[in-house]
Amino acid sequence: MPRRIAVKPAREFPPNTREIISVGRQSIGVLNIDGEYFALRNHCPHQGAPLCLGMISGTTLPNEPYTYEYGRENEIITCPWHGWEFEIASGKSIFNPHRVRVRSYEVTVDTPEPESDEFWRPGDEDPTIPTYDVSIEDGWVFVHL
Amino acid sequence: MSTNVIDTIIDCDIHQRLSSPANLFPYLSSARRRDIEAYGLRFPSVGHLNGGDRGYRHDSWPGGGEMVGSDLELMQQQLLDAYPIEYGILLGQEIRPVGTLPDVDYAADLSRAYNEWMIEHWLEQDDRLRGVLIIPTQSPSRSVEEIDRFAAREDIVGVLVANGSQHPYGNRIYDPIYEACARHSLPLVLHTGGEGTGINGTPTPAGHPSYYVEHRQSRPMGYMAHLASMVFEGLFERFPDLNVVFVEGGYTWLPTYLWRLDADWKGLRSQTPWVVKAPSEYILEHCTFTSQPMELPSPQSQLMTVFEWADASNTLMFASDYPHWDFDSPELSLPKMPPEMARNVFSETARRVFKLPSRVLATA
Repeated sequence: MPRRIAVKPAREFPPNTREIISVGRQSIGVLNIDGEYFALRNHCPHQGAPLCLGMISGTTLPNEPYTYEYGRENEIITCPWHGWEFEIASGKSIFNPHRVRVRSYEVTVDTPEPESDEFWRPGDEDPTIPTYDVSIEDGWVFVHL
Repeated sequence: MSTNVIDTIIDCDIHQRLSSPANLFPYLSSARRRDIEAYGLRFPSVGHLNGGDRGYRHDSWPGGGEMVGSDLELMQQQLLDAYPIEYGILLGQEIRPVGTLPDVDYAADLSRAYNEWMIEHWLEQDDRLRGVLIIPTQSPSRSVEEIDRFAAREDIVGVLVANGSQHPYGNRIYDPIYEACARHSLPLVLHTGGEGTGINGTPTPAGHPSYYVEHRQSRPMGYMAHLASMVFEGLFERFPDLNVVFVEGGYTWLPTYLWRLDADWKGLRSQTPWVVKAPSEYILEHCTFTSQPMELPSPQSQLMTVFEWADASNTLMFASDYPHWDFDSPELSLPKMPPEMARNVFSETARRVFKLPSRVLATA
């Protein structure tokens, strides 16, 4: 059953700041990137690091050998521990481009997020960070689980 | 261990030797001949011992003062006729450190002479034999001349370089060699040798080992360095049809090394963004490894677990290393494998990599 979690008033949540909120046993990072809101589970599937404390940046794009092209500014969050990169909008890891099925979290909004403290292990399915819809209503920022 | 049923073998590592440096004289200028008569071949060495009888199977020395490995009839008797060898691939012997010589032109002249000697005295004498070209890696342009000179021959099936090197082999300084390999559809073949000698660096990151048994452990270290270099320099992105064969450097380390490469790449991907697939995918697609000397766990059946991890059906190729002292018997050196895996290990993967047509063995 969908839940709406009140985060804070939007006027107190300026661009390029972030909030870490607790919802039950889950920690969720709510990011305001240049005025657009995103929410990701604050738990790296690799070894459980607080992913949403990581650096928000672009990254080097796949390219011809020996050529660097930097792009996707502010679309990537990098785990503060081991450097795994994730696409903020989808939660998909960058290092596994073969997982081509793009998850739409609109589809899963109604599904309660299974609570899991298990760490990702080699051989497990490749990681995707859960993302959540964020809206502004009556001047408040809401996260939709 | 119980043995595999084998009806055809492609042996990926056989060593033929000169009976004397004078064997090369017909293929060298008089100036080179005079220098060799005065100084010998001048290959640098780290000065350690070897194993067995002066490095070889005791019974492979022909007797009468003849040089081991120099007698085709004995090779036929002990290897080619003794087992169902469909093809045997010659990787030379004393020539392999040619890339460690400081004199590039001498290295190139020796390479050419050795390749011509191998063709005339071995490949043209037994239809089962195939050869791999030695090249002077110090000079990629001279290396390309060698490859272009001989590559059209049906009995030339690859290009040989030593594990010991001036640079890891993914380095783009070697690109002309890989362009030539790709142009002629020849695999690059790495064989141990040259580690820490001549113009090369130390054989291990820990410096020079004291003893031969230690020195042998630098083989997988070198191969690991070359593999990482090839992946992260984007070699297989730049040369998508290139195959690389790693001879005599071990096999069981491969799967855990692949795990390590993949794990590191996940956090460091952005530093080499042209590496668009996991390192293990490139290696399993482009690289194969020969079996001898196979590491033996206890119980030996545990090898099958490693074979599964490393996709042995597609990455492992049998080699005997005849006539060296650590020769692996086709019948006894490998654990019992499922029939399809055994067939691939003993012949079919090598047939694919070296592009060897199938043929019916003459009944001996």
